[in-house]
Amino acid sequence: MDPHRLEAHRRMTRALPLLAALGLWSLVAPRAASAQSAAAALAQGARAYEDLELDNAAGLLRRALAVQGSGALAPADADRALMYLAATELLREHADSARAVARRLVLANPRFRPDELVFPPQVLTFYEGIRRATPVVIARAPADTAIRPGSEALAVRLYASTFHDVTATLGTEAGRVVRTLYAGPIGDSLDVHWNGLDSSGTAPPPNGRYAITVTSVDRQRRVARILRLPLEVTQGRVDTLPHPAPPADSLLLPERQSMGPGLKALAPGALTGVAIAVLPSVVANGEDASAARFVVGGSLTIAGIAAFFSHHPGKSIPANVAHNRTLRDAWRREDAEVARRNAERARGMIGIRVGAPVLLTPEAP
Amino acid sequence: MSRVCLLVFLGLTSTAQAQSRWNVSLGAGGGAEIARSRIGTTRQRVSGFLLSGEGVATRGRFVARLRYGQGRVTNDTAGRDVAEGEALFGYQPRRWLTVWFGPHARTFVVPGQSDRRWLLWSGRVTARGTLFPGRVESFVELWQGVSGSLNRPAESASGGGAEAGLLLRLARHPLWGRLAYRIEQGRASGAGRRETVEAITLTVGFVPLR
Repeated sequence: MDPHRLEAHRRMTRALPLLAALGLWSLVAPRAASAQSAAAALAQGARAYEDLELDNAAGLLRRALAVQGSGALAPADADRALMYLAATELLREHADSARAVARRLVLANPRFRPDELVFPPQVLTFYEGIRRATPVVIARAPADTAIRPGSEALAVRLYASTFHDVTATLGTEAGRVVRTLYAGPIGDSLDVHWNGLDSSGTAPPPNGRYAITVTSVDRQRRVARILRLPLEVTQGRVDTLPHPAPPADSLLLPERQSMGPGLKALAPGALTGVAIAVLPSVVANGEDASAARFVVGGSLTIAGIAAFFSHHPGKSIPANVAHNRTLRDAWRREDAEVARRNAERARGMIGIRVGAPVLLTPEAP
Repeated sequence: MSRVCLLVFLGLTSTAQAQSRWNVSLGAGGGAEIARSRIGTTRQRVSGFLLSGEGVATRGRFVARLRYGQGRVTNDTAGRDVAEGEALFGYQPRRWLTVWFGPHARTFVVPGQSDRRWLLWSGRVTARGTLFPGRVESFVELWQGVSGSLNRPAESASGGGAEAGLLLRLARHPLWGRLAYRIEQGRASGAGRRETVEAITLTVGFVPLR
């Protein structure tokens, strides 16, 4: 081969793993970099805020908050970033911007309280004012549960940003109110219960999609926020007891004789029979050995075959069949019993699956 | 060499296996034997019948075996008496495997001539396989002479052989039977003398001590 081409080929061979590694890095790196850059921008923004480099801090914090998807800040970090940004904007004397950022923080997490060791009283007072002026609730409920209507209840815990009045109703997807669950003031938090019955108070509502709507009103009795918590209600869809696992293979005995013992018995006879046929050529090569040896070899082979069939390969083993049947019957009985008890428990119960809450703001407060 | 083997056997069986029990088996049988001798291009084939007896003593993993057989082999023109025997000492590293060492001799007696005796010191391996547990076993024994001699003409000798067959035991009775095929060949160093012996034997025995 041409030495120049050979050298080029060698270089290319050396470069290929490097190119592959670069390609792989190009696929992985952006996600890692964005996650790292959002967190790093938050850290740098906080440091810039503490150094009173406010313009720089505002830019870094906005950049951290702008990252979406898998590289986005965790909820707690996003809360911190918003708080730093609100404080930065306040110190930059951008009051409107500071107010908007603080309100965004209150809506995202009404329970958030700024760190009194980090932020000055001026910022704390400002944020407290915004929080008090922004009535909103968030809700926490089990994602999937089952209740017996009338005697049990679905509990939804509401957390409020500030003391205000709320109305909680259960309604259909179309907006028709099925039950009013609560109407009155909320302080820090409040448990709202739905007993699983419809407006008549005697029967659960039909299967379908519903929503618990929590309406927050301000001091002027205007609707400030609406929280919708979607529910999916299904009748009797509960398996409260787990079904037993079928018997493990290790507990079951073989129901048929395997070939192994038969072959193990056949082998010595057959191999010795073959040995008798070939031994003369090994021990006395060139001699015409007597054919009478086949009498012995044949006897051995026949004995081996008889030994093979004496193990009844493939034959059913009644004792093992009975043992396995006992195990399987016990499992079936237990499974049927669990199914019966589940059916009994499910009778009259409703399953409730809770979706992700949605916050609506009809108008600016 | 035989004295050394006997001393080793007695020493080992009396110390290492002192707590084991003796197991003794005796047997007697007979068999058809074919002997072929070849000296250069001269060949001779004789056949006949031999009666034999044997004793096997086992203690722990050690075992000793004595066999003796005697008979007459003939053809249309000649006949000779045959006597053969072996004295072996063995060790069982596994239940199914025994290794042996000891002398093996065969003498042909021709009237009017001095006896011709083959003597070979041999190492052997016996493997057993179970067909019906406790009842029927198969076995294969291979041996190779490590040193030997032929007395007439006085020459050194070598050889080897094999035996394979079926061993049956009666349930609840100390009786056993064995059907075996045996082939062995002795080769003298000079003149190209070669003796090949085949035998099919049937042996019955009992176990008086176990």
